[in-house]
Amino acid sequence: MSDLLPIIPLFGDDIPWLAGRRAQGRESFCLPTAKTEAWKYTKLHTLQRDDFVYAPSKFLQEFEGECEEEHCSCCGEHHSDCTCGDHCQCSHKPNLYIDLPFDAYQIHFNNGKFMPLYPALSLGVEVMTLMQAVVEGQAKNYIGKYIDLQKHPFAALNSAMLEEGLFINIDNNIKLSKPLVFIYHSNISQPLVSNICNVFVAGKNSSLEIVEYYYHSGNEKDFYFNNIVNEFYLAQQAEIKHYKFQNESFKSAHIALNYVRAREGAFYKSFCLQKGADLARNETKIELMQENAGAQVDSAYIMNGWATIDTTTDIDHLSPKTTSNQLIKGVVGDEARGVFQGKISIAKDAQETEGYQMHKALLLSDTAEIDAKPELEIFADNVKCSHGSASGELDQDQLFYMRSRGIGENEAKQILIDAYLLEVINHIDNEQIKEWMRSHV
Amino acid sequence: MLLKIEDLCAKAGDKEIIKNFNLTVNEGEVHAIMGPNGAGKSTLSYVLTGKPGYEVTSGHIWFKGKDLLKMSVEERAREGLFLIMQYPVEIPGVPVTSFLKHAVNANRQYHGEPELDTMEFIKLLREEAKKLGIDPEMLKRPVNVGFSGGEKKRLEALQMTVLKPSLAILDEADSGLDIDAVKVVSKGVNELMNENRALLIITHYQKLLTYIQPHFVHIFADGHIVKSGDKSLSEEIEQNGYSAYTREKL
Ligand SMILES: Nc1ncnc2c1ncn2[C@@H]1O[C@H](COP(=O)(O)OP(=O)(O)O)[C@@H](O)[C@H]1O
Ligand SMILES: [Mg+2]
Repeated sequence: MSDLLPIIPLFGDDIPWLAGRRAQGRESFCLPTAKTEAWKYTKLHTLQRDDFVYAPSKFLQEFEGECEEEHCSCCGEHHSDCTCGDHCQCSHKPNLYIDLPFDAYQIHFNNGKFMPLYPALSLGVEVMTLMQAVVEGQAKNYIGKYIDLQKHPFAALNSAMLEEGLFINIDNNIKLSKPLVFIYHSNISQPLVSNICNVFVAGKNSSLEIVEYYYHSGNEKDFYFNNIVNEFYLAQQAEIKHYKFQNESFKSAHIALNYVRAREGAFYKSFCLQKGADLARNETKIELMQENAGAQVDSAYIMNGWATIDTTTDIDHLSPKTTSNQLIKGVVGDEARGVFQGKISIAKDAQETEGYQMHKALLLSDTAEIDAKPELEIFADNVKCSHGSASGELDQDQLFYMRSRGIGENEAKQILIDAYLLEVINHIDNEQIKEWMRSHV
Repeated sequence: MLLKIEDLCAKAGDKEIIKNFNLTVNEGEVHAIMGPNGAGKSTLSYVLTGKPGYEVTSGHIWFKGKDLLKMSVEERAREGLFLIMQYPVEIPGVPVTSFLKHAVNANRQYHGEPELDTMEFIKLLREEAKKLGIDPEMLKRPVNVGFSGGEKKRLEALQMTVLKPSLAILDEADSGLDIDAVKVVSKGVNELMNENRALLIITHYQKLLTYIQPHFVHIFADGHIVKSGDKSLSEEIEQNGYSAYTREKL
């Protein structure tokens, strides 16, 4: 990947503000180097190739009438042999629906493209494509408005290619009864770069559960690059619970930025399990704008081979009585490398604030590596804060104890790993999702 | 013959602890090994079970006719060797029930028996727990975490009665137990004992031997057995202590 991005005609290039944002992204994009502080530990050799592919715009075809066909309601593709109805006969229907052990509204992306199959949501919840939201005028106040592209190079890339993704709006006082699951299917053997940006706008006192599932169903050696930006805007007392399971192919790259902006009394709670990809980064940037806003950011990661998994958090306490809690636990084997960078900043006015952060990692081999950089930046004087990072190995006495009861060595290790990660998995409120995550560690 | 230890020498870390140790245990026998603190009793139990860090430098151990020293820790356990540990290990995050279910099913799988499902297993576990006076609530707690000394030993005994080993080694099984608990644990051990099984009771004190009657008593000092006898030997130790034997060797 080079700093010079290809030019792909996109929908809305004639809309000045949108074109401006893309141009800004293009100008700001610059592949981090070993000297880039925020990427110091996370080497990007996985991206050192020049055969990246970008899919052409689907929206241009659709909105400019180049294609007469409707999308097939089953697979979301344009095709002529579609006989949609209750029983789709189309020959290339990918079976996107996934049986998940929890009740949810499913939304599917296939190789970076949203499949326009809209779940039947209750009143007060709107799901539309980002480009639809651009046309209707809702998107301008949100998309990329608060993200510093100079500091977030991959958000800049995402901005430069801004088109795919959803805009989700939940009205005041609406509480969605079931989680909304975004399933990102990947089954491609080309080095495809997919830039997806989703915007979640939660009204006052609303509540929403979101699950992201990065699901790879192709060849295990497939290389592709999912570059994701999620923006969450929480009005007063709104609550968003965000669960993510990143299980990309083990050769792929996955970089995500979750940007959260919370108003008075709003709460953002997330749990992310990262297991896949050769290069993965899940970054969470939270701005607690007003009093009593809070966040809980939990993560677990498990990795082997030569993978790098990066968990980066940056929480800004901008008002009094804001709270944040973070627990990140990882298990690193083989020659893999776990990276944790966690920053808590407390502004001068943010008195009576609490910010806690803990990172713990279990190293399964001598060649596994952990790089941790916890940081506190406190300008207020009446605050409670703590941070820390610890790494260790599997306890040999525990292993011996289990084996002396007949449990095989590998099984004993797995039980201990499971128990290790359980501490953070137990933070998940939704019992079904908790079990689902647990079954994948 | 269940167990035969021949001219065993072994190190704990880099310290030579077991020196030319010999012992034969047949099915149906209860042996007691008595010795002063620091004699190497626990070391012997770890060498038998294969704990890493305990290195055998020479000698042989035959268990059911097989070369025990060639077997992994888990194989020894599945073949029927069980150790009630002097210091049971805490395992945070792993409830007793699920830990023991893994253990029972790993053993069953090894012997080609079908695995027990959760319901079957819980039923079995509850029954055995009841016999040992173990509160079912304790089975939900993480293994040994926050357990009192007595609770830990009861849990060791429970594991033994559930796994039904051919040779159970009891390393200070009564330490930390009050007299009622000693009685309960001894009852569990005695019920398990039959003509196909054997016990090796490792103890500093004679107390436990009034509840579990040994056929043979061995005095362990300076890395090996210095005297063997019957039950009366343990009573003699109770009277006079170990000084005669530790002095004898000097
Ligand atoms: N892992 C070890 N490394 C070094 N020394 C050890 C180790 N384990 C035990 N020892 C030493 O071996 C001796 C015997 O210990 P132990 O077997 O626990 O005795 P006992 O159970 O008879 O009281 C002691 O001096 C003890 O300090
Ligand atoms: Mg001892």
